Amino acid sequence: MKSIYQYEMKQYIRTLLLWSVCVGGMGMACILLFSGMQEEMAGMAESFAAMGAFSEAFGMDRLSIATLKGFYATEVGTIHELGGAMFAAVLSMNMLSKEEDGHTSEFLFSLPIARGKVVWAKWCAIVANLLLFHLICVGIYGAGFLLLGEGLSAREMLLYHGMQLLLGLELAGICYAFSAFFRQNKLGVGLGVVLLFYACDLLCRVSPEMEKFSVLSPFAYANASEILSTGQIAAGGAALGIGILLAALGIAYFRYTRKDLG
Amino acid sequence: MKPVIEIAHLTKRYGKNRGVTDLSFTVAQGEIFGFLGPNGAGKSTTIRAMLGFIGFDSGEIRLLGKDIRREREEILAQVGYMPSETMFYPNMKAGEIIRMAAQVRRKDCREEAGILCERLQVDTEKRICELSLGNRKKVSIVCAMQHRPELFIFDEPTSGLDPLMQTAFFQLIREYVEQGATCILSTHVLSEVRRYCDRAAILKEGQLQRVDTVSALTRAGAKRIKWVRDGRQEEFIYEGDLNDLHKELAGHDITDLLIEEPSLEEAFMEYYRS
Repeated sequence: MKSIYQYEMKQYIRTLLLWSVCVGGMGMACILLFSGMQEEMAGMAESFAAMGAFSEAFGMDRLSIATLKGFYATEVGTIHELGGAMFAAVLSMNMLSKEEDGHTSEFLFSLPIARGKVVWAKWCAIVANLLLFHLICVGIYGAGFLLLGEGLSAREMLLYHGMQLLLGLELAGICYAFSAFFRQNKLGVGLGVVLLFYACDLLCRVSPEMEKFSVLSPFAYANASEILSTGQIAAGGAALGIGILLAALGIAYFRYTRKDLG
Repeated sequence: MKPVIEIAHLTKRYGKNRGVTDLSFTVAQGEIFGFLGPNGAGKSTTIRAMLGFIGFDSGEIRLLGKDIRREREEILAQVGYMPSETMFYPNMKAGEIIRMAAQVRRKDCREEAGILCERLQVDTEKRICELSLGNRKKVSIVCAMQHRPELFIFDEPTSGLDPLMQTAFFQLIREYVEQGATCILSTHVLSEVRRYCDRAAILKEGQLQRVDTVSALTRAGAKRIKWVRDGRQEEFIYEGDLNDLHKELAGHDITDLLIEEPSLEEAFMEYYRS
């Protein structure tokens, strides 16, 4: 199990660095741009806040874009949310299917290791990669705050990025379950899942009739504006997310330990 | 000798498609067993079921006295397998793959791996993506042999290997078998079966046609007939009663007649066609 984990960690080291530096770098650039744009933002904040449903969708009715917290929630939050979610999909969508796609399953599964252990070893590699991704990004954002001379509180960062990690884990879990069913790499499906959930969250925020369906998308409980404006997390949504994650892992395990390897 | 492979009434279907049907045979310890059949006969299906890659609908597979469904990991700890399509992780070095296989087995195989790499001339520093099929096969041989398993399962092992390496490979097999290992190999190369196998099974359309010693398989039924009858030379494989053949010859001018065992290739071709 350790060998499989180590191998997967080594395999994804470049992807991890590339994604975390790109997402973290873009976030840091936004943070550094804030001081230069603060005055312009003050003028725009009122108009942004008065855009009705769209203001609500992006949380601009609760947080002023003219403040660092509001700017972070709307700008950095969007980049981090989408970047982190896509990284989770990239990591997990092919994690199991790549063995059959690359014809390496016959080598791997001729070794005396239970398929269930392979499922867990690969999942551990996903968790470690996601954790490192968020740590690196938060580290880069922290550096941005230091350069800017102001920042968010540790509690706010912990709450928001904790929920972002859970969002990443839930999306990775769903993609991982899909991966157990496929014999070929289907990254497009993973990215489609992410964009579908993101669009679903946006629709639920824009349209009052759709609001009751907002729990369907994991982006709902990880929304930066919600968390940073209230200082609270949506415990119900997060609990549902954990439930979906566990169910997805169970499906991945059940399917992969029983499937005929191609 | 105790049986190392026991397959009883194995049936595997892929939906409506046939896999193998009611397959039964055993392989004893110390045997080199050939597994023959045309493409799609069910050889790979049988091997994949033996290794637990695929489930099966009915029957039983016992390797080394253990049930593959219940004791898969214990069995695989004592099995060395080489697939026909030898693929590894492309970015890893050959040496890393060999070490990874040993690590998963929790065995220190460095000494044996070193000997095998030297005999097979494996460049352990090269990445898998830089290796030809033949060189990947050599890495696969090292992975299959370095832990000195009790049972070898090879699926078309020599495809892609040059003649020198083929000889070295079979020499290794013989050495391990002399030390008590057992080997089953699926192949299309009949000369390998004739030269190295004790017994062979012939599979066709998912069903076992025959299991016997290689010498008995070539003797079964068919004869190669060469004659000069009424001044015309003829040569053919005859499967019928020799008395009928004798009657057929009556009244003809026979100036030359030769009845001999067919070659292994001819014998197997008869099984394939029938």
